[in-house]
Amino acid sequence: MIDFRRFEAAIDNGIGRRKLGYLVIALIIAFFLWFPNDTSQSNYAKTVFISGFFYAIMSSSWALLAGIAGQFSFGHMAFMGIGAYVAGLIARDGFIFAMLGVNISPESISAVGAIIIGTVAAGAVGLVIGWLLLRLREAYLALFTIAFSELFRIMMLTEYDYTGGSNGLSLRPLLQIADVDAARQVEYYLMFGLLIVCLLALYWVANSPIGLFLRAMREDEDAASALGVNVVRYKILVFVFTSMIVGFAGAVFYSDVGSERIIPEQLEILQMSLIIAYAVIGGMESLIGAAAGAFISRYLLEAMRQVVISLPFGLTTADGSDAFVWDTGYWRFALFGVVMVFTLRYMRNGLLYPIITWFSGRDIAMKETVSKRESDDEHAARIEADDE
Amino acid sequence: MSEIQLELNKVSKRFGGLQAVDHVSFSVTKPELIGMIGPNGAGKTTLTNLMSGTLKPSSGTIYLNGRRIDGHPPYDVTRAGLGRTFQITRALGRMTVMENMMVPGLAHNPRASRKDLEARAHEILALLTIDHLTHELSRALSGGQRKLLELGRLLMLDPAVIILDEPFAGVHPRLQDTITNYIYRVHDNGKAIMFISHNMGAVFELSERLIVLHHGAVIADGEPGAVRNDPAVIDAYLGHDEEN
Ligand SMILES: Nc1ncnc2c1ncn2[C@@H]1O[C@H](COP(=O)(O)OP(=O)(O)OP(=O)(O)O)[C@@H](O)[C@H]1O
Ligand SMILES: [Mg+2]
Repeated sequence: MIDFRRFEAAIDNGIGRRKLGYLVIALIIAFFLWFPNDTSQSNYAKTVFISGFFYAIMSSSWALLAGIAGQFSFGHMAFMGIGAYVAGLIARDGFIFAMLGVNISPESISAVGAIIIGTVAAGAVGLVIGWLLLRLREAYLALFTIAFSELFRIMMLTEYDYTGGSNGLSLRPLLQIADVDAARQVEYYLMFGLLIVCLLALYWVANSPIGLFLRAMREDEDAASALGVNVVRYKILVFVFTSMIVGFAGAVFYSDVGSERIIPEQLEILQMSLIIAYAVIGGMESLIGAAAGAFISRYLLEAMRQVVISLPFGLTTADGSDAFVWDTGYWRFALFGVVMVFTLRYMRNGLLYPIITWFSGRDIAMKETVSKRESDDEHAARIEADDE
Repeated sequence: MSEIQLELNKVSKRFGGLQAVDHVSFSVTKPELIGMIGPNGAGKTTLTNLMSGTLKPSSGTIYLNGRRIDGHPPYDVTRAGLGRTFQITRALGRMTVMENMMVPGLAHNPRASRKDLEARAHEILALLTIDHLTHELSRALSGGQRKLLELGRLLMLDPAVIILDEPFAGVHPRLQDTITNYIYRVHDNGKAIMFISHNMGAVFELSERLIVLHHGAVIADGEPGAVRNDPAVIDAYLGHDEEN
């Protein structure tokens, strides 16, 4: 067996964990930047990556909302949908402008303009929902957001004259590139860039005093408020902020970047549950953990569509093939469920948490302080000894 | 020394048919050390909640330094200069002791550098003998240590008036001394402190003024020696065996 501790000590004395961590991140980014240039990769592989980036945005922003701020919302996909649907509707039909009493023709709205309007709309609804949720906690908040999410999905499904119903709605394409390969390349970089920008924004918030206040609010709203934290403001703020992020990501993704149309099926609770599952598996209190959890899960779900097991020793299957092929269908989600159950039972902070804490050096800090719980009596005895 | 002017005018709180706080009026105008006593259910915690904004009075007004604070949200009252601890401690469990200190630190001084705030937090934690726990999650702390942490968090807010709801309850005697020490120090820094306690030893040792609550109403308010001999107080709370 390798002596992990010696290896660890060598790193601590050498480059240092944090620097090594940055190096690893740099290498990962370099890999993603290089990937579409690998000519052996199909457009299909790129498509899988593009949707992986999209789901990474969804899960990491949900991690800020639920893991850090403690607002266990099921409305995240709905906010994404609001961004996409509003962007689509505004560029398609004049009725929204007519309702607002302004004289703008939908044809004059560019794809970028539609995306901005979709983002703002998601933020505005986030403001209202955040306000309505102020007094709701935990299970009540979850139930409320499920209801809100379903309401929105059913509206989109029912108003098919406007939304296309179950066939979905096409948004104005953001890119107009005739060559398929070139288009896929640009879409890839666009979505990857979007993920990096979103992660930076999420990190900035999480590491600012706001992040500290959000965590205080998660732990105990009354205590946070008594300590001077304007709980109402931060609760609404986190809803507006995360809603705008996913509204924006949704509007871009469905503007023919990752997908050519938004369908109500995307807004089903199952889809929302998957976002949550990715975040939980990666680590719902870690933004990068949730993002990685989503990306890796998406990738594995794709890879597991068909499982091919080559048989050894010249064995063959009944129909004479040398490999056993299993079309997994929905079974791949079952495996996924098993992973999630394992995570929740044995690694509550997510499968990536040990790696992330190791790189951040946090476990060193923990080791240096008192690791066992000190009773009042022991504490008293200790300070008495100090006094003498 | 910060300005102190806390004024309660006929503050009442009803819970359904129960008059938990009944027309309470008093004022604090200087850095006093005030004890508040009263039987279980007298309304002491409810009164604290009314002053800190956790509850809204059914009637009456509360002013702090000329600003009306009754019914204002707690964070606003806190910023106006009134800080409180909770009878049942409320540590932010999955945050470290230092983070527990930084929340009020940054909420109160958004522009201060983290370094300065951390240095100040460290001094306070040392005073409270819990500086060795700085990087522990606060949920790992013992009951008494949590009380100390709550006291420490308050100082990060630099409030003019501090209300402590049962700071000594369930705390080891040696740690109680640490808390007494804290109360004296904070008082010496020119702050008004009101502390609720059932610990008569501490109450009579520390208080410069004593307020007695019974069935939600103030039945005595004055110099501890006088309050101790007040027949109404003896009947309601202290009992006759306390006299010798
Ligand atoms: N939220 C509430 N709803 C209904 N009744 C309440 C509520 N809070 C307190 N009460 C009641 O108000 C009365 C005063 O309670 P309070 O907690 O203020 O007493 P206290 O003086 O702090 O008692 P103790 O010494 O036990 O801490 C009690 O009868 C209590 O049951
Ligand atoms: Mg009480």
